[in-house]
Amino acid sequence: MASGDGSTLESCLQLLNSDTAHPELFLSVQDALARDFKSLTKTLYDLHKAHEPADCKGSPLEQLVIENFDEEQIWQELELQNDALLTHFEQAVEQAVTDDTITFFKDTEEEEEEEEEEEDVDNSEIANSLEEESAEEDDDDKDKEEEFKQRLKPSASNEDDDFSGEDSDLDFDVDKFEEKNKQKQSAAKLSKSRSHRTQSEVDDRFFKLSEMEAFLDDMDRREGNESLEGDIDYFQNLPSDDDEELSFDKPVALTKQKKKKSSRDMKYKDFFASVDAEPEKMDPESNDDYEGEDDDNELEEEEEEEDEDDMNEEDFDMNEDDTARNALRKVTFDLPDDDDNDSEGEDVEDILGGKAKNMPKPESKSSFEKRQEKMAQKIEELETAALSEKPWQLTGEVSAQTRPENSMLEEDIAFDQASRMAPAITEETTLQLEDIIKQRIKDQVWDDVVRKEKPKEEVFEYKKRLTLDHEKSKLSLAEVYEQEYIKQTQEKKEEEENPAHVEIQKLMDTLFLKLDALSNFHFTPKPHIPEVKVVSNLPSITMEEVAPVNASDATLLAPEEIKEKNKAGDILGDTEKTTTDKKRERRKKKKLKRLKIQEREKRQKVKEVMKGGGDKTKKSKAEVEQALKKLTKGGKAKILTNDGMDKALRSSQAFFSQLQDRVKSQIKGSKDQTAKKKKKQKEISVSKLKL
Amino acid sequence: MDSVSVTQAEVSAAAEDCEGNTDSFEKVTSKRSHKRKRDAAEVDMRPEESAAAAKRPQFPALSGAQLTGGSVEMRRVPVPAHRYTPLKENWMKIFTPIVEHLQLQVRFNLQTRNVEIKTCRETSDIGALTRAADFVKAFVLGFQVEDALALIRLDELFLETFDVTDVKPLKGDHLSRAIGRIAGKGGKTKFTIENVTKTRIVLADTKVHILGSFQNIKMARTAICNLILGSPPSKVYGNIRAVASRAAERF
Repeated sequence: MASGDGSTLESCLQLLNSDTAHPELFLSVQDALARDFKSLTKTLYDLHKAHEPADCKGSPLEQLVIENFDEEQIWQELELQNDALLTHFEQAVEQAVTDDTITFFKDTEEEEEEEEEEEDVDNSEIANSLEEESAEEDDDDKDKEEEFKQRLKPSASNEDDDFSGEDSDLDFDVDKFEEKNKQKQSAAKLSKSRSHRTQSEVDDRFFKLSEMEAFLDDMDRREGNESLEGDIDYFQNLPSDDDEELSFDKPVALTKQKKKKSSRDMKYKDFFASVDAEPEKMDPESNDDYEGEDDDNELEEEEEEEDEDDMNEEDFDMNEDDTARNALRKVTFDLPDDDDNDSEGEDVEDILGGKAKNMPKPESKSSFEKRQEKMAQKIEELETAALSEKPWQLTGEVSAQTRPENSMLEEDIAFDQASRMAPAITEETTLQLEDIIKQRIKDQVWDDVVRKEKPKEEVFEYKKRLTLDHEKSKLSLAEVYEQEYIKQTQEKKEEEENPAHVEIQKLMDTLFLKLDALSNFHFTPKPHIPEVKVVSNLPSITMEEVAPVNASDATLLAPEEIKEKNKAGDILGDTEKTTTDKKRERRKKKKLKRLKIQEREKRQKVKEVMKGGGDKTKKSKAEVEQALKKLTKGGKAKILTNDGMDKALRSSQAFFSQLQDRVKSQIKGSKDQTAKKKKKQKEISVSKLKL
Repeated sequence: MDSVSVTQAEVSAAAEDCEGNTDSFEKVTSKRSHKRKRDAAEVDMRPEESAAAAKRPQFPALSGAQLTGGSVEMRRVPVPAHRYTPLKENWMKIFTPIVEHLQLQVRFNLQTRNVEIKTCRETSDIGALTRAADFVKAFVLGFQVEDALALIRLDELFLETFDVTDVKPLKGDHLSRAIGRIAGKGGKTKFTIENVTKTRIVLADTKVHILGSFQNIKMARTAICNLILGSPPSKVYGNIRAVASRAAERF
């Protein structure tokens, strides 16, 4: 039977391959190929129906009827079969998943094949499980790709009219098979190349960011899918500690992993590697070996985790642990060089106990020896420190030159400040300040500066304050002192005036003032507030009195205000002046004059000095005139002028001839009238002769 | 120690109780002869205080007769001739406060031309005698009765006398001029000083008498001395005004 089936299948395969060898043919409608495909579908269906187990009931059709049937009708026949079997297959898959005896191994492809063939290809469940299995290993993209591939394939085949259901079945079958292999391979590759996945900064031996992301995405999806899955068994025996996985979904959880332990059975060695192991390399083969296991682990882990934040890392740690566990099962400490015999490392080893096998010791040392070694080490260190040069921090007073550059920045220094520090401005202080400001603004309480004015006291005002009473005081001394005493004692109780009273008083004042103005007898004008007022010198009656009763020739301004009085006193006329007054006036006049002259002379000197560069002998015309005037003033000198002289005297000949004539006349005169004209003789003055 | 300040009210109250009830007046007034006794009393009181502070011994005021030990004290104030008539005219005004308020006996001895003041049994205040004598003396010097009365009413008033030639040795016209300066035209300057410094001044020839409290006497004296020394009255006015305003501000 099986061989017959196998041969049938082979022949079908061959036919299919030959038909699809030239895909370009499908651009046009190929009726022959279509008929082939139909017959293929029928063959497969019949084959399948023959092998159908008795318990699962498919469609009542034993054979696929294709003669004279439309594609649609064929499809419906197939659908009939598929729907019937769907539920059956679901159950089967569930059973298979929860079945502890079944284990999935990557290498045993035949097993999987069989499983596959048992569960028919159309199950989306298997696709899901495959997803789950590979989710851990695949990246999101790859996962989705494969998903899509799986899904697209049937959809593609559905859409295409040329392909019948048989085709799709076939395709699905084959493709599924191929994909499964691919997945396995890719998973293997991925597991191999785990380290080649997208590296991120936070990755280390335990944590892979990409894995975490993949896990999270998967969980999101699962949450979406399985949101209806309900009851969480709070009391089930957890397989491990809190840090490890919690199984929320009991049916899905695979707790019977042989490597899984309950939380109580976990030991140190499950978490931490022995100290000497090198955890760097992850053996890909060993990974492959454990992949099936890993799949289950991952299944569990994926399904169980709900909260992501805290658990994720631990999850991943656990995942890592799980994956690494089988290969390595070790976490190592970041030990310094083994040569150092670091105390920490040693202590850890001591704690670990027997696991510290790989410490480079020639022979195992007793604890005492180890202690001694430590002590010796410490002593050595202290000695070297004591003998060596001290660091600059401990060398007393340090200046900037003696210490390295910017070394003070790294020091935490404590020092006392004598003065008060400026207030540190933090956000709170700023906010407080702003609150105060806002409140002030609301209350309109400003800190405006009030302009200070110097209280200028006029002498006049000051004098008025202490009025000098030139009369005999009306009060006796006793009364004066009495009043003072009373004022002193009663200073404290100052009567607080009723504001109403004040107002009443004011009104009354104004009223009475007006009344007094009308009745002249008791009218006293209000006290004059000193202000600048222009007073014109008009008769006072027009300005002061409201109701003029009598005329007055009094003027507003006093004569002193019109013209200021002389310091000397009254102005005296010429006849009124006494001798002393006259003399005084004269003296005053002379003094003023003298001052004027002195001033003028000073100015002249200054001018001469300014012009001092020029010829000193050259005098200006004005100066010459001045000099002449001065000389002739006193009568000491006389200026010879041309008065009475003829123009003819300009020439010397004329002059001498004139002289001759004159002398002759004189002689004549003397001869004739000696007695008479003697007196009348003109003197020959020098000025006349102009010598 | 209680300060003794006799106001009109107190005086009148004292006058009412002139006759007898000195017990109601439970205050120790005189300072002089009381001292030793009071000290003793204080000493006595201190140990008592510790025992019971509330139980203070109350001593009635001693009358003048008790204080003096029964003897009578007398003061004599001579009256010059030119004050004789004014004394006669103002006798009632002089007489009344002395007798009624101070509980003293007063008479004018015509033969000796003295005003005699005497304590009696009714005199409660021993210091009254001095005050009465001062009062009469002030009047005799030339002050008005009302001004002199202030001496009785107020305790802190004093009388100061000095000569013009004490300030500066002036003779003849200068002296007259100095006195004239002090007086001023119609007494203007004198009145001004009196008003500003709250004193009373009497110019008697070359003697100057000033009545007032201690500070005021000083102010007036300074002003008068400045006038004697030759500063014009306006300047003196300015000075005393300044001083007086400062003094007034202070108190």
